[in-house]
Amino acid sequence: MPVEAIAATSTTTMEITVSKFELLRELTATQGVVERKTTIPILSNYLFEAAGDKLSLTATDLDLSLRTSCVAKVKKEGACTIPARKLHDYVKLLPDADITIKLLENHWVSIRCGRSNTKMVGMARSNFPSLPAFPTAGVVKIPAQVLRGMIAKTGFAIASEESRYTLNGALMVLKPESITMVATDGHRLAHIERGGEKFEGISGEMKTLVPKKAMDELKSLLDATDVEVIEFAKDESTLYFRIGSRLLTSRQLTGQFPNFEAVLPKDNNKSITLHGEELSQAISRVAQFADERSRAVRLKLEKGELKLSASSTETGESEDSLEIDYNGDTLTIGFNAQYIIDFLKAVGAGDVKLELKDPQSAGQLRPADVEEYKYRYIVMPMRI
Amino acid sequence: MVLFLRTIFHVDMDAFFVSVEELFDPELKGKAVVVGGQRNERGVVSAASYEARKFGVHSAMPLRTAAKLCPRAIFVDGHPERYREYSERAYRVLSSFSPLVEMASIDEAYLDMTGTERLHGPPLRAAHNLHQRMKSDTRLNCSIGIGSSRLIAKVSSAKAKPNGVLWVVPGQEARFLAPLDVRDIPGVGKVTEQNLHALGIQRVGDLGRFEDSFLEQHFGKWGLALAGKARGEDAGGWFDNEVGADIDAKSISHEHTYNQDTGNAEQLESTLMRLSEMVGRRLRESGLHARTIQLKLRYKDFTTITRAHTLPAPTQLDTEIFEQARALFRKNWRKGGEVRLLGVHASSFERQPDQGDLLEGARRERWKQALSAADRLRDKFGESSVALASGMKGSFRERIHENPAGLPGKTRKP
Repeated sequence: MPVEAIAATSTTTMEITVSKFELLRELTATQGVVERKTTIPILSNYLFEAAGDKLSLTATDLDLSLRTSCVAKVKKEGACTIPARKLHDYVKLLPDADITIKLLENHWVSIRCGRSNTKMVGMARSNFPSLPAFPTAGVVKIPAQVLRGMIAKTGFAIASEESRYTLNGALMVLKPESITMVATDGHRLAHIERGGEKFEGISGEMKTLVPKKAMDELKSLLDATDVEVIEFAKDESTLYFRIGSRLLTSRQLTGQFPNFEAVLPKDNNKSITLHGEELSQAISRVAQFADERSRAVRLKLEKGELKLSASSTETGESEDSLEIDYNGDTLTIGFNAQYIIDFLKAVGAGDVKLELKDPQSAGQLRPADVEEYKYRYIVMPMRI
Repeated sequence: MVLFLRTIFHVDMDAFFVSVEELFDPELKGKAVVVGGQRNERGVVSAASYEARKFGVHSAMPLRTAAKLCPRAIFVDGHPERYREYSERAYRVLSSFSPLVEMASIDEAYLDMTGTERLHGPPLRAAHNLHQRMKSDTRLNCSIGIGSSRLIAKVSSAKAKPNGVLWVVPGQEARFLAPLDVRDIPGVGKVTEQNLHALGIQRVGDLGRFEDSFLEQHFGKWGLALAGKARGEDAGGWFDNEVGADIDAKSISHEHTYNQDTGNAEQLESTLMRLSEMVGRRLRESGLHARTIQLKLRYKDFTTITRAHTLPAPTQLDTEIFEQARALFRKNWRKGGEVRLLGVHASSFERQPDQGDLLEGARRERWKQALSAADRLRDKFGESSVALASGMKGSFRERIHENPAGLPGKTRKP
């Protein structure tokens, strides 16, 4: 595996000075990647590498790695590892001033700031896993805010259940002029497509399974950035996302994402338009009285009215109703309230369309006014 | 407190498995018989005839030990389906005497006979009739204990054995219990017995000489229950339940002990398939869906691990149970480690509305139909008439025990 070149010739020395503000910003940005309950001690450490006028910080849990950097005064180039959580907690408490970090003997690291002086127990730099390098070819540029929006609108539908392995991520499909993202946990599926883009270097289509953890991390990196375009690349085993000076790498999920196109409903002929906010409030209210485990709520479509209700033997029963423009046959269908609420949260303000067929078939929700995104959400009903 | 006088029967089939085997092979009658497997096999005794018991053979004892104690004994394989069938017949007899029947295990039951005097006559006559009906309908002997509590009924049926009826007249409970060994109280095992002996308590009557608070101090809550039991009351744990009260099953599990330890992955996984099938069948039988699947794995050296996984949606499909059990196995089995016992355990039951599945819905429905059809075949032609292919290598004879721990079982669903 190629290793990103380290300018330092010696790894037994390192001495730098960095501003607390800069360092803390990068420490905070990488906390999510540091392994919490690891059996491999080195993974709870940062790798610090100093070269030129830059300090690079790397955190990894082997599945996911994040490499970032900040400006530093480098007195001696070199590298060291420092316990990540402890360092973060400590630096937070330091005054706003310059911090001097120096590698001592036996992998100990000295942290000095004003009148504060600490020596932390590090580990040998050579123990830190080597990370794959960003590929030089096949790099695709994706608008940061487009990707961010797509993750926000699909990420919640990813399965947290480990046994359905290929559902533990979202499928991203890049075509020369469109990007699509799909996520499902087997009960519901979120699908978003955006056309009118230009992706250079893509011919045909490029399908990638992005693991849930990478999606979450990517989302928070995108939330915190003002770069307009990110760079995406992949090789056989690894996905790379470069967001400004930060590089997120993730192990690829192997396996076949299910054939989602087969489950997209085609003949849901009972359609109603609802105000998203009102629907969300009504469902949240009745869901208070739903069975705690199943979270089942009943939706009854009648002429001019949508009745929502839930009941459980322990808490009682609750009903709400919304005025709708509907003239078709009466239809009663059950859904997990949380699944509907998740979508309404992601879709944002505005009207939504609910399209149904019968009590056994999947329902479809989507924004009523289609903009540049094509966004749809498919939910399997519950037997009630 | 008992507010009105109860009449509880405890009906216990005499040497149930052996008696059933005798019906199929009359030659066994009057001989030392051990049910559970062959004399040189690994595994334990499911049941022993009274003649074999004279040599010290008892259930849950290793077969090889039994063979040493009683070399002349005839060893026969167990036939769980026969015992279930006869248990069923016994249940039908019992439920014609009282609507409140609780099968405590495959071969014993409690009946609440309170208020049936006008229908069945006084307790002893009712018991006599029941005893005869049992014999004529099932050709099996049973013993009946009658008392004002489950505890008294249970203890007196043990004293009535074999083939007898014993009624402890209300008011005489403490006098009946006093001379008995403390071990005769259900729930007192080796350890409690030793602890009681250490306090100089040998007989049930000795317990009465101590204050309840003293017993509580020494044995905690169980001490209080013990004090109550010594007076003949139903106290503590399961004895607090009404006869026939609905105690839902909390878990369903099946285990298999190998005749020869094995480290063969294929064979082990095949056994898991077979066990998963058995668990799935019982889930479907009871109309339950399990959310938690647990694997039990015992190595050659008896180190035992249990690992559980909770599913996002409850299941009753053999294939899904197997998938979980196998995943747990692959994650936790020490590669090549020789395994003595495997078990699959399902719990966290739900009967609730089903969440439809977007991707697997049709496939699950087909499996469900196929497995229900397989269940019907098994009902008709026996357990081994149909099996999933991957479980074929893992097929084994099901073992069954006559209540080996002497603990009451679960409610029998009519």
